[in-house]
Amino acid sequence: MDANDLVGRMTEAYGDDVACVARSHKRVYASLAPEHLLAVFDWLMEEVPGLRFGTSTCMDLREGIGVFHHLPVNGTPLVITLKVVAPKPDPRVPSLTPRVPAAGWIEREMADMVGVVFEGHPEPYRLVKAESFPDTFPLRRDFDVARFKEDIGEQPDF
Amino acid sequence: MSSPTSSPAPTERRVVQIGPFHPLLEEPVGFSLGVEGETVVDVDARMDYIHKGIEILAQQRTYDMLPILLERICGICSVTHSVCFCNAAEDLLQVEIPPRASYIRTIIAELERVHSHLLWVGLAGHFIGYNTVFMWAWKYREPVCDVFEMLTGHRQNSALPMVGGVRRDIPEKYFDEARKTLDMVDGKVQMLTDAVLDDPVLAARLKGVGVLTPEEVMAWGVVGPTARASGVDTDVRRDEPYAAYAELDWDVCTTPNGDVFDKAVVRLLELKESIKILRQCFDNMPSGDLNLGTLHMPRGEGIGRYEAPRGEDIHYLRSNGTNMPERLKVRAPSYTNIASFKASCIGEKISDVTITLAACDPCYSCTERAAVVRGDGDQPERTFGDLVRLSQAETRRLASEMGRLPDLQLK
Repeated sequence: MDANDLVGRMTEAYGDDVACVARSHKRVYASLAPEHLLAVFDWLMEEVPGLRFGTSTCMDLREGIGVFHHLPVNGTPLVITLKVVAPKPDPRVPSLTPRVPAAGWIEREMADMVGVVFEGHPEPYRLVKAESFPDTFPLRRDFDVARFKEDIGEQPDF
Repeated sequence: MSSPTSSPAPTERRVVQIGPFHPLLEEPVGFSLGVEGETVVDVDARMDYIHKGIEILAQQRTYDMLPILLERICGICSVTHSVCFCNAAEDLLQVEIPPRASYIRTIIAELERVHSHLLWVGLAGHFIGYNTVFMWAWKYREPVCDVFEMLTGHRQNSALPMVGGVRRDIPEKYFDEARKTLDMVDGKVQMLTDAVLDDPVLAARLKGVGVLTPEEVMAWGVVGPTARASGVDTDVRRDEPYAAYAELDWDVCTTPNGDVFDKAVVRLLELKESIKILRQCFDNMPSGDLNLGTLHMPRGEGIGRYEAPRGEDIHYLRSNGTNMPERLKVRAPSYTNIASFKASCIGEKISDVTITLAACDPCYSCTERAAVVRGDGDQPERTFGDLVRLSQAETRRLASEMGRLPDLQLK
């Protein structure tokens, strides 16, 4: 499927809800609100044959916590990126894991690292952080390393 | 077989802990297998026992330093991560690298694939008790690593890729020597492939074990040879050609059944294709520039994909216009392939789990320490060595039933 073609069909189906842009013939980036994520993902799974869940990136942005789902399409150079931004201080994004089990681990990892709550995740437990890790999020920009070392019982400077 | 306990009643649920640490391979994972009798009924995994913090380190390195750091993500796929990052940066910049650089990247990538697949063939042979395969595969992996050293100066970390090309040239005076090694390895791979395909014990042992259906492959996002063994036709080298793959003549290998046997066959066939690609690269090496010089990285984002020996590697790069990335996300292929154990291991016998787990070639440092945990406090140890012995005993049982030696008969 051609990138520009896909952008046209997505804009036709969702209008202003999805800000969709093709950076090149093989990269499509679509920004949307968290409440539209599941509908757009279902639509893509139905419309684009060979679409699979690749991975996700989480980022602490100025406007909130960014969760970018990267969806490659088998047999084509196309990678579709769905970008949602969940406002702080209580970022919540619907979970894709009930639809694709491949999202299970990466969503748990993102919950550990930046503290996004994935609503509807079937196994919302820690994956990356140890049980003894304090309830802070290492990839947040306000992560305080000195405070973290105090919490786990190390001297701030050693 | 020296199993420490008598067989439990089939309904008794036990938990077998596998992992988390093993010094042989680089990615520690802890598995908890829920076992009823000899059948696995549940798999749970814990990750990141050695969290290296590469993603946060990457935000503190310049673009020129990053390929050197990213080579050290993995002990085997060192070319994978550095070239994948360069693909991401070049996607951001929208530039094409010079032809000689793309050929050099192809050569180091395929040499890496050959030695990685040979390593897997050896390990898989060991897990089912075919130690001849282990010895032979690893013996012929050595000269491939030597070729890598001749061309780049190091057996693993070449330090060649950089954003916009490669850092140094590779010496053409060693191409003849490399061709000779390839001819030798090609013959041995052919011999191994024929022996594996002909061997009735291997077929009985591995066919129908650890099956992944195409639907499971898509649902779990499985990539690489593990997906191609289930008939899912995906290969980044063809789908989104980077380096020189678009100009070369080679095929994507797929097999239909999705069991461990097919995963072995796909890798053996891919070895032949890799050797074919390498020969074409040595013969058609273009001359010219090695890189595009110093590049200014603008604001923006890019996604790099790369077909690692284990499957598709993805890097997401976001730049804020400075000389360091704002965010670099790395997804290695094993991350999705290991998660699919939930689909491939459930319902298998515990003697088949070792080879099923090994079949996706995980970066697999997990299986050294395993203990059977019983609720009543009577705790017999079941180590990874015991699991391998169980797996090998199953092969021996099959072989003696068929009246054959429990090892590969090489011609």
